[in-house]
Parts: sequence; C-alpha cells; structure tokens
Amino acid sequence: MAEVILHGIAKTFGDAAAVDDLSLTIKDGEFVVLLGPTGAGKTTTLRLIAGLERPDKGRVTIAGADVGRQSPAERDIAFVFQQYSLYPHLSVYDNLAFPLRSPARRLSSDEVDHRVREVARMVRIDHKLENRSTRLSGGEMQRVAIGRALVRRPAIYLMDEPLSSLDAKLRAELRLELKRIQKDLNSTLLYVTHDQVEAMTMADRIGILSEGRLIQVGTPREIYADPANLHVAARLGQPHINLLPVDLLPGASAPTGARTVGARTEHLEIATAGAANAEVDWIEHLGDQNHLHIRVEGHKIVTLADPYLSVKPGDRVSLTLKQPLYFGTDGERLR
Amino acid sequence: MTDAPSTIAERSAEVLVRSTPTVIARRVRGLSDRAIAWLFITPTIALLLAINIFPLIWAVYLSFTNFRANRPNAEITGVGLRNYQRVLNDPDIWIAMQTTAHFVFWTILLQTVIGFSLAYLIDRKFRGHAFWTTVILIPMMLSPAVVGNFWRFLYQPQIGLFNYIVSYFSGIPPSSFEMLGSVSLAPWAIIIVDTWMWTPYVMLICLAGLRSIPDYIYEAAEVDRASAWRQFWSITVPMALPFIMLAVLFRGIENFKMFDMVMLLTGGGPGSTTEVASITLKREAFESWLTGRSSAFAIILFVAVFGLANIYVKALNKVKQR
Repeated sequence: MAEVILHGIAKTFGDAAAVDDLSLTIKDGEFVVLLGPTGAGKTTTLRLIAGLERPDKGRVTIAGADVGRQSPAERDIAFVFQQYSLYPHLSVYDNLAFPLRSPARRLSSDEVDHRVREVARMVRIDHKLENRSTRLSGGEMQRVAIGRALVRRPAIYLMDEPLSSLDAKLRAELRLELKRIQKDLNSTLLYVTHDQVEAMTMADRIGILSEGRLIQVGTPREIYADPANLHVAARLGQPHINLLPVDLLPGASAPTGARTVGARTEHLEIATAGAANAEVDWIEHLGDQNHLHIRVEGHKIVTLADPYLSVKPGDRVSLTLKQPLYFGTDGERLR
Repeated sequence: MTDAPSTIAERSAEVLVRSTPTVIARRVRGLSDRAIAWLFITPTIALLLAINIFPLIWAVYLSFTNFRANRPNAEITGVGLRNYQRVLNDPDIWIAMQTTAHFVFWTILLQTVIGFSLAYLIDRKFRGHAFWTTVILIPMMLSPAVVGNFWRFLYQPQIGLFNYIVSYFSGIPPSSFEMLGSVSLAPWAIIIVDTWMWTPYVMLICLAGLRSIPDYIYEAAEVDRASAWRQFWSITVPMALPFIMLAVLFRGIENFKMFDMVMLLTGGGPGSTTEVASITLKREAFESWLTGRSSAFAIILFVAVFGLANIYVKALNKVKQR
C-alpha cells in the first residue's frame, strides 16, 4: 500500500478536455471515491493512474516515485473494469490465479493456491472455483473480477464503477463487502461512481468531478453538509436539493449577494397550523417515509416527510426555512 | 381533401394499393400469414428441388445401375452394390484420395498460419490498414479461371516471373525447373496458387474473430502483468479459435472438392501426380462414360465430406461453448 499523488494532470481527446488540471492526494490506506456524472472524467482519471492513458500534462506519483514513463504492468496497481473483464475460457480459479502466475512475480504454486483460496473466500466465490467464468451470474462474475484485483497487494486498487451493472440488492451487498474488505486489508482504493449512495457509504473522502475538474474534496459529511457550490449540492441528497429564490420562503437570513437558496429536507419545517404559504400537490408513499411534493407560488418543492404526518393533496401548509444553504449568482456557496 | 396522404411513403403506398388488381388484392387479403409465407418461399423451394435435390436422388439411383450417359438408349439394369465395391477396391481411386488429403492438409495449414498472421498484423490498426486489407483481398475476388491462367504464365520456365524470382533469390537458373511439369513440384505449384488465392478469405474470418475480442480484456491482462506472448496464447488464440476453426471448415470442404484450379493448371498431371478425387471422378464420368460407377464414387465422396464436416462441427460447438 502506498500514497498516490496526482499533480495537475490533464488529458484531452480531440477537442474535448476529459481531465483538466486535476490534483489529488490519496493517502495510504484511504478509500477515495470520485463522484460525477457520465463524461466528467472519472474513468479517464483512473486510466491515467493505471497508465492505460498518458497524461498531456502533469505527473502521477505512486509511493513517491514518478510513474510517468512506466507501463501499466510496471506500475504497482490493480484495476477492476466496469465490464466483467474475465478471461472467458478460463475457470474461476485460473482467472483469480492469472495475475499471480505472471513470471515477474515468481510465486510458488502453493503460494498461488493459498492466495486464490483466501481471496475466493473473501469475495464468497469459493464454492464455484472450478466453474468456467462464462457460466456465472453477473454478480458472481463481478466478484471474480474484484477478487482478481484483490489477490494482489498493489500500491493502489483502482475500481471503475464495478457495481453499476448489478441489480440493486446485490449492489448493496457487495458495497458492504467491499468496504469491509478494504478495511480489513487497510488498502488504498480509488473508486469511481455516479451513484451517490455508493460514494456516501464507502468513502473516507469523496472528490466531486465535473467536466474534468475536481470541484471539491472532503469527507462524505463535509461534502453533504458543506457543499462548495450548487453543482456539488445538487449531486448529493435524496430527494434532490430544492433550489429556490432567496425571498420565496420565510426564515432565511441571506448574506448579501445571495440569489439562490438550497433547501434539503432538514432545512425545511412543515407546519399544518399557522399562516399557510404552500399547498401539498402530491404524496408518494415509500413505506418508511413519504415524498411530499409541495407547490409554493409556482415553485415545486420535494421533501421527505414522516408517514404519519396527516396531510393529503390539496392541503395548505406552512413552510419555513431552517438554516438553508445560500448560493451567489455564479453558483458559488455564500456562508 | 382533408385526409390526403402527406409523405412520399404514404403517397407511394397509396399508388401501390390502387394499382393492385382488385382480384389479387381480395385474394391476398383473405390468406393467413402462414399461407403468404409459403407463397413467398415456394418458388425457391421448387427451384432447389429441381436443380439440387432431384439430381442428388437421381445420382443415388444411377449409382446402383450400369447406366452410361453416352449410350442413353441402352437398357438400364440394376447392379446392386457392385459399383460401390469396384470404387472402394480401385487402387487408383485410393491414390487420388491420398493426393486429395495431402492437398487439403497443406493448403489448410498454410492458409491458416499465413491468414491468421496477416489478420493479426492488420488488427494492429496501423496507418493505412484499411488500404492493405483491400489489397490483400484482391486474389479472392478474381475468378479461378483468371487465376489459373495467369499462374500458368507465372510458372512458365522461360518467361515466368515466379521462376525468375526463385532464381533471383536462390541462384538456380530459371529454366532449370518446371513447376507444372515436374512430378515433385506440380503438387506444390497447385498448393501455392490455392494458398495465394484463398489465404485472404481465411484472414477475413480470423480478423472478424480478433475484432470480436474487447480491448478491456487486453487492458486487464496488461494490468495483470501478462507479457505480450502470454496475452497472445491466453487471450487472443483461445478467443479467436472458434473463428479459426470455422475458416478451416470452409476451406476444408472447399478443397476436398477442388477441381477448377487443378484442371486449369495441370489437368491432373504430370502422370497422375496431381490427380485429386474430383479429377478422377470427372475422368470416370466423362471420359470413360462409366456414369453409374462415377455416381457411386460421387456419393462416397459426399458421404465422406458430410461425415467429416459433422464430426468437425461437433468439435467446433464444443470449443464455442467453453
């Protein structure tokens, strides 16, 4: 395990800047998640660290050494691809053993066997070791792909949306397992996703990417509660943050220059008594909670509500802001 | 007119509907989908029956008779399995089969090795690879008659380019050897021409196989520190193998019945050194006029190819399922 540092790396494909002047330090043993929409440069960043792409500018250092001239094989990294990149004609066992059988590693077959079985147990695929890799379900294939990264002890694990092609239940399961494994091994891991739940639940620190730029880096708590700008605020929170004009609702004490108020559920107080300023439009029942759709002077607001709150569509309610987030005309956060 | 058809497609559909005679339109409308489907494929099936299936069955019938096509009026008598017996006991035919096997083995080996190597090079996607693909494909697009004739010129001992090039590199005088006239060289002359002509075909199929391997598998292997050699043997070859096997199947069937090139280049000679099975068959049928016996021979060849191809396809499916 080692520290990985990106010094102002940039990469353009044709006219499009995929990664633009990105600097980031991933500390030893840290789980960092890069979060951003499709095309934000997440995958390119991983590929630049892996050496599958060469940066136009900037440097990548792994454990203090500049790896700019090294091939992917020479860099001490493991990569999990978005697609199940298994070797289709090999068994699960041989897939897991593949990286260890590189002549460069000179491991004895006992050692290989030991490591493969250990990792197979870790990703819970040990009952299917003799199966052909093509005869597995999607979830099992991705476990093998993750396992193939874990059999090695590289400086850093790079994972490119490894869970995105799985169904919701399996994704939740593997998410927990991955975090547990990372903690057990105390490994350095850079993980790329567009799923805010994955980012919030697994990351030690989250980096928000947009159009090739790193906008904010911080712990999940910081990113959620203290976003640097509108873009970051809009990436996190379920339901989405409500963006409203400053003077729409009472309770705001806006700093000068503020144009937009960002209000999540915890920033809104709903009262059925008192002077009503809003009308309930629609209620979505999710079981443990309700999504309340509220209309205020032509603006729509979505917020979570206690399922026992007795309101129905058409009811008039009173909405008050409670220490919301303020943003200026340029979208930057005002404190 | 409020409901006038607006787009060109609608208008032309309208024209088509109006120009269809009412009788036909009414009749077609009354038919089920199944009946219409049959209507479409019946002409093709009828043609297939007439020019493929009927002659086959007729040949089976003739193979049990003493029929000779140059004596159409002679009485046809059944001879049972005697024709088959004679064919299988004829040493000349077994020699022809050996010649065919030798020919099939070497053409497939050369075409697969060279074709796969070319596909591997073209797949590197270097500058101008599309242009070179087209150039490589040219021999395959030529008619066998053209190829046969111009290779006869190339092999000409006095003025042939082939002999000249060989002599340039080896120092042997160009007119000291005859590719088509020498007993030891003539089989190789045909193998060279067939390889020249059909390697592009094998390359094309192999290229399809190589292109079907996704890049990320190679990237994963690279990250896993697999050398280029190991990537070739543990990814490229196994994943392209079904395609390679398919190319071998096509070329195998084709070369088993090889006729045109041999006929044009050597006619089976010198002596009978290049007399492959189909040449023997032609001689029996249209020089000796032993129609019944040659029919039996043709059926034996057909069953042999069919049987071998079936065994091979089973193996191919096994490889595909891995």
